[in-house]
Formats: sequence, C-alpha cells, structure tokens
Amino acid sequence: MDSVRYSGRQLLKSFVKAALNREETVHFIGFEFSEDELRDGLKGPFAKRLHIHSAFTDPLGWTDHPVFTVHQFNAEEITHLIKQTSHASAVTLVIDSLSWILRHVSPSVFCRTLQQLRKGGAVRAIVGLLHADMHQKGIVGSVCHLATSVITVAPGMKAEEAEAKITKRSKSGKVLQDEEIFVIKEDLSVIVQGKSHQTEPIQTGPEEQKMDPTANLTFNLRLSDAERQAKENLSLPFVFSKEKKTALLHSGPSSGRILYEPDENDDYDQEDPDDDLDV
Amino acid sequence: MYTELNSILNTSPESFTKGDFILLSDKQSDASFLIHHFLSFYLRAKCKVCFLAMVQSFSHYSTVSQRLGVSLAQAKEKGQLVFLEGLQESLSILIPQDEHTGSQAMNFLRDPKLGLQDLYEFVSSKVKRSCGGEAESEEWGPPVLLVDDLSVLLTLGVTVGAVLDFSHYCQATICSKLQGNMVMLVRCDQEEDEGDNESPACLLKGLTHQSSLTLDVQGLPTGYCRDIHGQVEVCWQRRQGDGQNTQNKLFQYKVHDKGASFFARGTSSAVL
Repeated sequence: MDSVRYSGRQLLKSFVKAALNREETVHFIGFEFSEDELRDGLKGPFAKRLHIHSAFTDPLGWTDHPVFTVHQFNAEEITHLIKQTSHASAVTLVIDSLSWILRHVSPSVFCRTLQQLRKGGAVRAIVGLLHADMHQKGIVGSVCHLATSVITVAPGMKAEEAEAKITKRSKSGKVLQDEEIFVIKEDLSVIVQGKSHQTEPIQTGPEEQKMDPTANLTFNLRLSDAERQAKENLSLPFVFSKEKKTALLHSGPSSGRILYEPDENDDYDQEDPDDDLDV
Repeated sequence: MYTELNSILNTSPESFTKGDFILLSDKQSDASFLIHHFLSFYLRAKCKVCFLAMVQSFSHYSTVSQRLGVSLAQAKEKGQLVFLEGLQESLSILIPQDEHTGSQAMNFLRDPKLGLQDLYEFVSSKVKRSCGGEAESEEWGPPVLLVDDLSVLLTLGVTVGAVLDFSHYCQATICSKLQGNMVMLVRCDQEEDEGDNESPACLLKGLTHQSSLTLDVQGLPTGYCRDIHGQVEVCWQRRQGDGQNTQNKLFQYKVHDKGASFFARGTSSAVL
C-alpha cells in the first residue's frame, strides 16, 4: 500500500525479482506502466519465467486490439491466461495496480475475484499494489481484510530510506505487526536497516555554550560592581514597594491633609435620581 | 519561458527528458503562468504541440506568449501548434448553428457519462499525424500535449474516473509510445473532503500517481504579499535515469510582465 508521498512500485518490482530468483513463475498484470518500463531491472536468465500481460496501452478496449483489458479481470479469464503460458507449477500473480482495477470494477466483484483466484489453485500467491490515498477508507479496509500480509510504505527520515509498516496474519489467527526502515538498491534488492524509532528525538547534542551578547561590541554594555550595587539600590518611581505604602498611609507631619465632606450633589444615583425610592 | 525555472528543473529547449508527464497543480493560487512557460518552452524546442485550452481564448494565450517571445499565430500557421479552443467549440455544440455541429472532441458536453474517449481520439489523431512520415512533419520534434485545465472538466459533469482514464490513455500514447511529453494543469480550491470521491483533490492524487514530475503552486501560508506571489514545490515522482531519488525543492516566485522569477525561500529581492 503506498501513497503519493512514496511509490511502492520499486518494492513491488523487488518482490517480483525475489520470486523469480526463487525459480517461481510470475505473471504480471500491469496497468500503470508500459512493458518496457516494467522489464527494466528485471532482465536476466530468469526473465523467461516472467510473463507480462500489459494492460497499459489499452486497458478499456478503446482501440481494436487490446492486449489485456480491465474487463478481463475475473477468475476464469485470468486462470485461462495463466494456464496458457505456464506449466503445472503454481504461479505468483502480481498486479500493478489494484487501484486501477478498483476504479472500474465494483469492490464486491473485485474482492470476490481475488478470493476465487486464491482458492482456485492456479495461483499460489497474489501480490498487489494499492494506492491507499485514492480510495475511501472502507474500500481500503475491505481489500486489506482479504490479504494475509499488508505492507504500508511511507517516506523515511532520510532521502533514500523508506518506512514500512507490516501486518501479517498467520493461518493460526495470530497477527504480527512490525515497523522497519529499508532501502531499495538499484539492482532491486531490499536492505532492511532495522526498526524505526517510535518518535525520532530531535538530536540536541551537547548544549551549545551560551553566547555572551555583550562581548565584541564597540561600546560598553557591562556593569562594574559598584554600578551594579547602585542599580540594585535604586527604587523605581512607580513601583509600589512596602516603604512607599507606609509613607502614603501614614502621612508625615508636614504633608497636607485632605478633608472631604460629602456634598449632596455628589451623591447622584443613576438608578434613583430623585432619591425617593425605597431601595 | 522562464530561464530560472529551466535551471531548477535542469532542462532546456535543447535537451529535456522525453516521455515525461508533468503535472501542475494549484490551490488558492494561479498556476497558469506555468502553462505559458511550458507552451513557449516546447514551441521553442521545436516540438509539435497539441494544446487543449478549455478556460481561455486563443487571443489570451497569444498575447501572453507574445510577451515571452513566441508567436502562437505563426506556430499555428506552420502546423507546429494544434489549438483546441474549448470555449468556442463548446458553444457550437451547445448552440448548434446550421449544419456545423462542432468537432467530435467535445462530445462529452452532450453526455458527460460517455467519458472522454472522443477527446482522446482527437488528441491521438492530431498527434499521430505528426509521426505519420509526411515530409513537412519531420521537422518537428516529439509531440507534446498541454491541457489547461483538467478540473474544469469535472465541473462540466465528467467523472474523476473518466478524466484519469483520459490522462492514462494520453500518457500511454504520447509519453510511452511516441516518447513525447505531457503537461496538465489541475486546480483544486476546496478543502479535501474524505468522503468525496469526485473532488478535484481526488483527481489530483490519481494524477500524481501517474506523473513523473509535479509542480504544486500555493499561496504563501502567511497571506497576500506584493513582492512574493506564492511558492512552488517541485517533486520528482519517479526515479531519474541514474536511479537517484531527486530531492523535492521548494521555491518562491513572483510573476512579472514578461516572465517570472524564482528564488529560494527568504531570498526575495524585496527582502534582502
């Protein structure tokens, strides 16, 4: 399963190469790439075991002679196609991509076809590439449900690396989940570089020495000890310190006193202007 | 054609990778300046260009290209440029006058459910003619298809699936078989909606999977700025020939009267 951020096609091709190296016969149904581009990197003595059914040039039958169309995606036709070119040994079927088929075939028919192929016997294993961000979650979920292993790829921290989240369902019902970082080399071999960290901590390293901003200036911003003392002793004019408070509350002998007698005109109540309400 | 963009993409009219599908996209911004760039780029590279212009008239493109130093009228006369003016063609279909029923290309307007097969047939016929072996067509280089823009087809009732099929077939014919290039513009203004299968965002994702290079134009996240019109993110989707994954690049740009300038983030001449 891939997304626009990282394409899973190279990984798919490395699975194909690995299968060919294991002397299996591989049937490749390609919708998204031309046959030449698919064969790129898959040349070698085992190439004759690779049969490519290219649905790239005409997948919908718009021209007169399509090689393989999406309408041929059903269990009978595919089994027939496989039996035409293969011998008795079971075959690995690789599909690029499942998303293409899902755009034209209803999900229920698609899942049924995959299930029929699985149970059919002509196909030993099916490997498919699905673009997870092109479909609704429900459809992606249904397809993943059918699969025994799901590998979701995403770009890794570094340029060449990629992350893979692997979910494997074994026959006994046990589900294994794993996360790994891998790199695909030019010869399509996959090198697993270990587990990915849950959250990559930002490399802080040794703390940098605090830069002294007052250094290297053409003017002096530093304070000498005497100056620092004087600065600390200074009381600021608008800070309401304890001394100021007592000075104001207990007015000194020479300070003036304010005498106030409330005047009737000052006692104006907005809610009771005539002062006759019994509030 | 903008020389700075050429150096960012590492191409020039004399040497550019063939078989590329370049996807231009924009969100709350206007990427049509890139269409003008590629139009003048490929005309200068002496390629046969098939331009499906759905949103503007011929005179609009002609005026802008004049400022970039390329004459569309001349190219059309010489046969280098095939111009499908979507606005005019659609009028002749929607309001049929006399016997002239319009070219078959815009048949999807009659019934959007038919899909874009007729449009593909039109493109394919125009593009294949250049490789038919006729004497005068041999002077042109590989064929190029330019589409401005695809999201307008969605508003005309065509489904996302049909547009993706159309671009697939065009890619198979033009990029793969004829080793030409394709440039398509998709505009998505709405926010992405998870459940919506027919939104431009969904189309954009599908096309991004098919493309080899995407240029995503967005407005600045901080809002409007007079000196910086937006940012462009350049992503190479497929591995380059030497097998290395090229890093994605992010640039800011400003569109002028006669071109556009691209610069790394924070290095606009207004700021420095």
